[in-house]
Amino acid sequence: MAVFDAEKVQGNILRGYPLDRVRHMILEVSDRRRAREFLAAAADGRGEDVPRITRSANWSERPEVCFNIGITFEGLRTLGLPSDELKTFPTEYTEGMTRRALKLGDFGESAPEHWPAPFDRPDRIHIVASAYANANHHLDDIEKKVAKVFTVLGTRDGRNLPDGKVFFGYRDGISQPRLRHVFDPEHAGDHQIKDPLGTVLLGYQTQLEGIKFTIPTPEDVFRDSAFNAFRVLQQDTGAFETYLTDAAHFLESHRDVARLLPEGAEQNIGGGMSRHDALREVVAAQMCGRWRNGTPYEASPNSDVQDGISLTNYDYSLSSRCPAGSHMRRANPRGGPIVQRVANYTRRMVRRGMSYGPDPETGEHGLLGNFIGANYGAQFEAVMCDWINFGLQDPGITGTNDPLLGANVPETSRFDLTLKGGGHIRLSGFPRFVKTRGGAYTLLPSLPAIRYLSQLTA
Amino acid sequence: MSDDSGWLNSYINSLPERGWFQFLSKYVVVPFWVWREGRPKLPGGPRPSPQPSDNTQRMMNLLMPLKDTSPIGRAKAVMALAQNVDEIFAGLDNVGTVHSARFLLVEDYICMISVYDGDFSNYIRDFISTIGSVFDALMHEVEGGDKLYPSEENVEAFIDWVREHDLFQAPDYPFDLFGLQDEQAGRKPNDPPHDLQTLPRSLILQLHANRNISLGGGYRGYPGYSAAQIRRNLGVGW
Amino acid sequence: MENKHLVKDIVHALDIDGGSTERRPVHTVGVGATGFFKPSPMAQRFCVAEHFLPKAAKKGVRVDIRFSNGMGVVEEHDGWSDVRGMAVRFYLENGQSTDLVAMTLPVFFAPTPETFLDFALNARPKPCQRATPWQKIKSYLQLQLPLPDPYPGQTERPNEGAIAFASKHVWAQPAVIDASSIGAPVSYVRATYHAVHTFIVTGKDGQRRWVRFSWAPIAGVLNTDPKKPPEDRYLKKDLEKRLSHGRTERFSLMMQIGETGDDFNDSTRQWPPHRTRVMMGTLTLNKVREDQQEYFEKLSFNPWHLTDGIDPSDDPVLRIRKDVYAFSSNRRQGTPCPFSGTKG
Repeated sequence: MAVFDAEKVQGNILRGYPLDRVRHMILEVSDRRRAREFLAAAADGRGEDVPRITRSANWSERPEVCFNIGITFEGLRTLGLPSDELKTFPTEYTEGMTRRALKLGDFGESAPEHWPAPFDRPDRIHIVASAYANANHHLDDIEKKVAKVFTVLGTRDGRNLPDGKVFFGYRDGISQPRLRHVFDPEHAGDHQIKDPLGTVLLGYQTQLEGIKFTIPTPEDVFRDSAFNAFRVLQQDTGAFETYLTDAAHFLESHRDVARLLPEGAEQNIGGGMSRHDALREVVAAQMCGRWRNGTPYEASPNSDVQDGISLTNYDYSLSSRCPAGSHMRRANPRGGPIVQRVANYTRRMVRRGMSYGPDPETGEHGLLGNFIGANYGAQFEAVMCDWINFGLQDPGITGTNDPLLGANVPETSRFDLTLKGGGHIRLSGFPRFVKTRGGAYTLLPSLPAIRYLSQLTA
Repeated sequence: MSDDSGWLNSYINSLPERGWFQFLSKYVVVPFWVWREGRPKLPGGPRPSPQPSDNTQRMMNLLMPLKDTSPIGRAKAVMALAQNVDEIFAGLDNVGTVHSARFLLVEDYICMISVYDGDFSNYIRDFISTIGSVFDALMHEVEGGDKLYPSEENVEAFIDWVREHDLFQAPDYPFDLFGLQDEQAGRKPNDPPHDLQTLPRSLILQLHANRNISLGGGYRGYPGYSAAQIRRNLGVGW
Repeated sequence: MENKHLVKDIVHALDIDGGSTERRPVHTVGVGATGFFKPSPMAQRFCVAEHFLPKAAKKGVRVDIRFSNGMGVVEEHDGWSDVRGMAVRFYLENGQSTDLVAMTLPVFFAPTPETFLDFALNARPKPCQRATPWQKIKSYLQLQLPLPDPYPGQTERPNEGAIAFASKHVWAQPAVIDASSIGAPVSYVRATYHAVHTFIVTGKDGQRRWVRFSWAPIAGVLNTDPKKPPEDRYLKKDLEKRLSHGRTERFSLMMQIGETGDDFNDSTRQWPPHRTRVMMGTLTLNKVREDQQEYFEKLSFNPWHLTDGIDPSDDPVLRIRKDVYAFSSNRRQGTPCPFSGTKG
């Protein structure tokens, strides 16, 4: 196993950037030769005509601008990677996100047939280049440089909302895999089990005992790369808030409501609110797994006051108040009881996301997400198709989908709220709150891989 | 028209049963149509679906060709399994999503027939991570198995190989065959709609491409429930 | 009545030579029986309609059942390949009742009333002839099956029209494929009947589920041998014989539950056989009534005739059947069903 060298790994994988804006540029390689020159300059240039690729290394001072690239399989092919090397890439990546739609739950309104440009022509998407900064003019500069060499099929701009929130009102991005060999001050207080580097990078030990994922050929070139699922996720906050109100009306007069939220507990939620509003917040908290301010529901089911409660150090058990069907628990069951006993801690991913919108014309808003791991099949897809949707990890939720992210239709959707002392109240009739509006599977190549691609001659 | 052509009509109606006609079909008619509009091989295993009843109790019909088909070779394959039965069962227990799994030695194949929940590649991957070494012992007796050794370091290739050797599951309703064939050939399904009369031909040509198949997803006595749900509801713990 | 013209057009499209406006336009020939239904213990968990409650399990709910042949002709050809019908009326308390209308075809020919009218017009029986030997050989050489020979005395049939239409309209294909090989059952009680449309049932806990009902014969499914010449009149005699001397025949009411991704308003696609199925109860037939003409010909079943606990889905064909059945019932002067808008 190689010694880990941060200089070889692109940034924003092992640690997040402290910058608040992003522009993802979706590019087509129209001129292979110039594209390769761009890659060479991006890897080793000084950033004058071509933006420089940001590495994972420790920074002495905070950068103003960061720049990274992801390449699709069609992109690798267009850049001229020989076919015997293309064959060594994993099937999920070669097929591309659009062809995996049914497995990911992208059907109905989320189906690729309904994705807007440029995601409606996945064969033309070759590179997703991402620029990060605090000021828009930096992003414009980079886009200009990129547009000189590539065809810009489209862009998506994102930004961090205040208080680290997403449009649904929750604080996001609290818990990430903490990787061995990587010091991340942002997550110093997190006592979760550390993950091996192979969780994210190719060429290292993974959490699955004995298993190492195949590194595409040539191995010493593609080692230290990662695979990313880039997703444009529209969030229907209006429908969500409406449903919370309807649910609260239904719960107010339910005979078991005191075991859901004790009388008077509404004083300790959101700084004190009406019982109706508190019930809305309880539903929101149980559906997510955290109160909107980030306090874990498992640690504090009757109040969102954060005093002294760790945001990250808790676990689930058979008697957890946090429902097995909540979004966070589906995405990361931690050490809790799951059907696939061998799989605890094996499907974690690094998530980097920023909010987009609202669009001035349509009002569309949501999340631009990067879900990064070493193997789609073992991580992103495994979580999406068996845990987020379908709920196979717990017999109480099998056959139901994630209330926030899942592929729900009102006729069949179900979510069980947990009650003190056991039992549940069943909610139903909620629609799909998050719709997929585009995406791509991209390789986040290591620096050696970028150099290798820049030197291809086919 | 009166029935004086009755005998001819009966004879014609019975053509598909006649030996000489079957011979002609096998050596001339079918090969002609295979050349003219042969169907691509359809992938094995259950197809992705958002429906819970499609994701529980899925069928795996894995046919693995033996390297050595002599009685000694077959005995070696049997021993490779028999000596590791405890490990295999413990591994399946910890994967948690398997309803049943059994091995058959049939003609020149060693087969694994299994009923499981959820995504097939998760099932195989979790299984390899617990008992990869057992798999290797078995794969040593299977043709093409050496390329996948050791399974723990060739997880993706192993999963692809299993998918290749898992039988194609014919759709539950014959009409769906047209759409599957269209998709496999890269066309939009049923666009334009197929002539209904060509359904028998489509089936025959598909059986030429996929020699061994599973007839649909099989009968279930208690469909729609995962292994863990059944264990929980029966009170024996999951 | 919604869209009177469409309703009338549909009924007229179904009127064929050999039919009669004094009888039903389809499912003309039939035989009625009586019996009772007893729900299973878990039926009320899924549906709180009266006939699924525990009280009904003790005594059973009285039912009338009408079996029928699908073809819209008055001549009886039991042995011809044809869809069969099974309409059941459950008699509840206080003079209430509810119907479940089912047939051996598991899907409908079209997803909307307009497309159904299109289909019905194109599938009207046309003169038919046995294919010549050369035509048959040509079929076999194309790895196709020639159409079956017409039955002795059969001069028209819908097969050619239906198949040609379905070859151009994908949504008709599942139904036409099934209908062309459906055959003839050896008895009305040896076939599976499907209610086809999706209904919404409300369970004891208030949970609503989108479901489909089927009657599964406890005697099992069995068709006559298609190679033997068909008998014309045997189904009524068969049923009388089976229910004589105190003998009974039974059906299980099976209910499949809908799942994410189903189009609940489209009855042209069958749900896969491995759906969760619930055993809702048992129907026992015990008598063939003597007064078939007076009683069953006048009885007007309607798939919309439901009760608390069972609601219709938004399936547009289900909705127009309400009016089509009422129109046909009025025309033949049947006892008005609750929707016919006329007084008895």
